[in-house]
Amino acid sequence: MKRPSVYQYILTFAILMLFWYILSGYLEFFYIGAGIVCCGIVTLISGDLVFRSDVRIARSAHVFIRFILYIPRLLAAILHANLDVAYRVLHPEMPIDPGIVTVDTPFRGDVLRTSFANAVTLTPGTVTVDVIDGRFIVHALVREAGEEDLLKGRSIERDLARVFGEGDQPPSGETGDL
Amino acid sequence: MLNTLALIFIVIGLFFMVVGAIGLIRFPDFYTRVHATGKCDTLGEGMILFGLVLYEGMNLVAVKILLLVIFIFITSPTAVHAILNVAYTRGVEPWKKGDERR
Repeated sequence: MKRPSVYQYILTFAILMLFWYILSGYLEFFYIGAGIVCCGIVTLISGDLVFRSDVRIARSAHVFIRFILYIPRLLAAILHANLDVAYRVLHPEMPIDPGIVTVDTPFRGDVLRTSFANAVTLTPGTVTVDVIDGRFIVHALVREAGEEDLLKGRSIERDLARVFGEGDQPPSGETGDL
Repeated sequence: MLNTLALIFIVIGLFFMVVGAIGLIRFPDFYTRVHATGKCDTLGEGMILFGLVLYEGMNLVAVKILLLVIFIFITSPTAVHAILNVAYTRGVEPWKKGDERR
């Protein structure tokens, strides 16, 4: 991995400084000075953490903007998932039929895998248990519904692939091999 | 007007928190309990905090609470994942339909 560039340091420092200001709320010399010292030290130690040097910043910015635009749909899905869980919790007979579902994805990026795992955890009746390379082991509250969503529908997977511009050929029609 | 909206958000959030707690008691095993708490608590906390943002209006406190919402939505599923992963690798058997409650 090559060394982080000056821009990366400056951007990281700017973000940390903004965060410092939001948390402190003071614009006096002492607080800003302390912030500059602290953010400077953190930037020097982990300047490669926020913007990785093996990923181009312009591309990350595109992904970031697309992800922001994707959030409303994710929130709608989360609300739907919660209503579903609430229904199953409050139903007198508790209509659940849990099981483990294995989902194979072509995803390679760390951030993409994390996003997918978190999205799966937050949306209909499924939580991610384990990730081995591109394979996600998912526990579904209702096994059939989970398979329907994750193996046949694959809407989250397709959306995230579009957001991150990776794995652009989702296996349409074919069901994932279990 | 804004206060009413804030109140609605907070009440819905409370509803989901209560549902999460009931699910924790009613569901039969570890994995399904995590379903209830992991999902409902994330949305419940998020909605309560967002209600507080609306109540607070546009100032620095609101921005801080909004940051809290964002961090909860990132960290809560991650924590759920960590707990479940430990249970799974330690060999906790998932509950199947028809089994005894644990």
